Amino acid sequence: MTTSLFFVQLINGLQYGLLLFLIASGLTLVFGVMGILNLAHGSMFMVGAYLAWYFFEHTGSFGISALISAAIALLIGIAIERGLIRHLYRRNHLDQVLLTIGMIFVFNALQSLLWGNDPLGVPVPQALSGAVPLNDVLEYPVYRIFVALLCIAIAFVMYYMINKTRLGMLIRAGESNREMVECLGIDIRRLYTIVFAIGVMLAAVAGVASAPMSSIMPGMGEHVLITCFVVVVIGGMGSIKGAFVAALLVGLVDTFSSVLVPQISSMMIYILMAFILLIKPQGLFSS
Amino acid sequence: MLFNKRTERIFIWVFFPLALLLPLFLEQNTFYVSKLTSIMIFALFVMSLDYLVGRCGLITLGHAMFYGLGGYLFWMLAPEYTEVNFWVYTFYVCMIAAAIALVIGFLVLRTSGIYMIMITLAFAQMAFYFFSDSIEFGGNDGLFIYMKPETSIFGLSLFDLDNPIHFYYLCLLSLFNTLVFFKLLIRSRFGRVVDAIHQNPGRTTALGYNIFMFRLMSYVIASALGAYAGYLFTLQYGFVNPSMLAWTTSGSALVMSILGGMGSIYGAILGTFVYEGLHYGLEHMTEHWMLFMGILIIAMVMVFKNGIAGYLEKLLEKRS
Repeated sequence: MTTSLFFVQLINGLQYGLLLFLIASGLTLVFGVMGILNLAHGSMFMVGAYLAWYFFEHTGSFGISALISAAIALLIGIAIERGLIRHLYRRNHLDQVLLTIGMIFVFNALQSLLWGNDPLGVPVPQALSGAVPLNDVLEYPVYRIFVALLCIAIAFVMYYMINKTRLGMLIRAGESNREMVECLGIDIRRLYTIVFAIGVMLAAVAGVASAPMSSIMPGMGEHVLITCFVVVVIGGMGSIKGAFVAALLVGLVDTFSSVLVPQISSMMIYILMAFILLIKPQGLFSS
Repeated sequence: MLFNKRTERIFIWVFFPLALLLPLFLEQNTFYVSKLTSIMIFALFVMSLDYLVGRCGLITLGHAMFYGLGGYLFWMLAPEYTEVNFWVYTFYVCMIAAAIALVIGFLVLRTSGIYMIMITLAFAQMAFYFFSDSIEFGGNDGLFIYMKPETSIFGLSLFDLDNPIHFYYLCLLSLFNTLVFFKLLIRSRFGRVVDAIHQNPGRTTALGYNIFMFRLMSYVIASALGAYAGYLFTLQYGFVNPSMLAWTTSGSALVMSILGGMGSIYGAILGTFVYEGLHYGLEHMTEHWMLFMGILIIAMVMVFKNGIAGYLEKLLEKRS
């Protein structure tokens, strides 16, 4: 492997890892705070991508379409938490699993009902369509760099929000002791609605951001879901910091293994996960 | 009494006689006979998962690995163009699957809860890609099995596996035996300890039981039976392919088990038949069957607290 090829793969891996972090952070946040295992999280990623396509077709501007899609995702999140998830807090995890599997069915059906089953695509926005030259022969698309920077920015905002703001303080408090927070006069139900909606929005934003990079098609949610679970579990369930490290790790392992050992590349991230869980059964950064 | 709940007894007295008589009415229509056969095979698989998840509290999302292994092991063991004995190969397939489960169980049972769900998934995905990426095992298309085994035992051949009706009865017998086996297991000393571990692992350890060994044994038993179901599936259709090991297979088995009523064992049959029945019915009515299926699943979670079996029990045993 030459140095320049190595360098390109390194950027590819980091960029993929950052995108994975964006999706996985919502999953781990919702699990950490609310103890809900949301299997429909991948569907939210899919919904984000389809919404981005739909509004791009109607408005012609990717920026506006991204904003509308994020807002709609937030509303979907609020509706799901209020209408369904809220009634299952006192039930066991398996009922929540069943509920969210039912939601996967519904979202997949709505997708094929509303937008059909043909792969769709969104063009890269004009302002970000160029490429940055790396050396004399290689160049790297600006849009991918933009997405990577966006993911880093969101990671910083989340870090700031959770560690420095009042909402973050409540989230951390709710994570460690639900009853105590309620006793202090905080409406924990409202907090849960906010957290769930943010989680859904993060997945949808990742879907929007990846829409111009890959084709939008049925089943894209399920594939992402499993990879995200790998990330969240390696990092330690509920740990945002863990999800960040694990996402980069998974991104790099996946990218490099498909170049170095293509025969077993699809197995590599699972081997990594099994290996890490056997050494640290609670993931890398569990509390 | 083996079946200690009234609802359970009623279900068994309704289901099994009905299943015994059904082929007499469907004689002309082998399509429905094979459809029912495949549902029964899957119900057997779901039952083994139900024991593991509902009775032992070991939630796995990798049970389909053994379902697929049942098929692939038979392909690997049996000579391609010679007729082999069904019972002998049942023994081989179950024993090898049990040995594999012993090794994997030894690793995965060190974790618990959500981490165990994920590590079982990891092993299943590795097996999935192992078979789907390999050329020797036919890749994504899977493999065909040309010879069906004969079923003679002590010179007596009861079932002819090429005949769908005979195969139907073999699967019904297997399902019934599995149900009885699990009920006996639950009632035995072993089953009592497993129940105790499920309710309070700490206290059971304090009583001097090695809970790891009990969990490992349960995992091995359930996995071997899961492999048996996969073996039956392979014999029915004459092929194996990697989709048998896919995580969606484990996922839908888990859904059927929760739907039927976790840990009730007979609920596995209920859950599988209701789910597959709805699937089949809705698929024929509308192209968008998934929408209705999803809404029905959501509605059932909201209404039934302990699955269909739990709901029926509440309905039938309130007065008694």
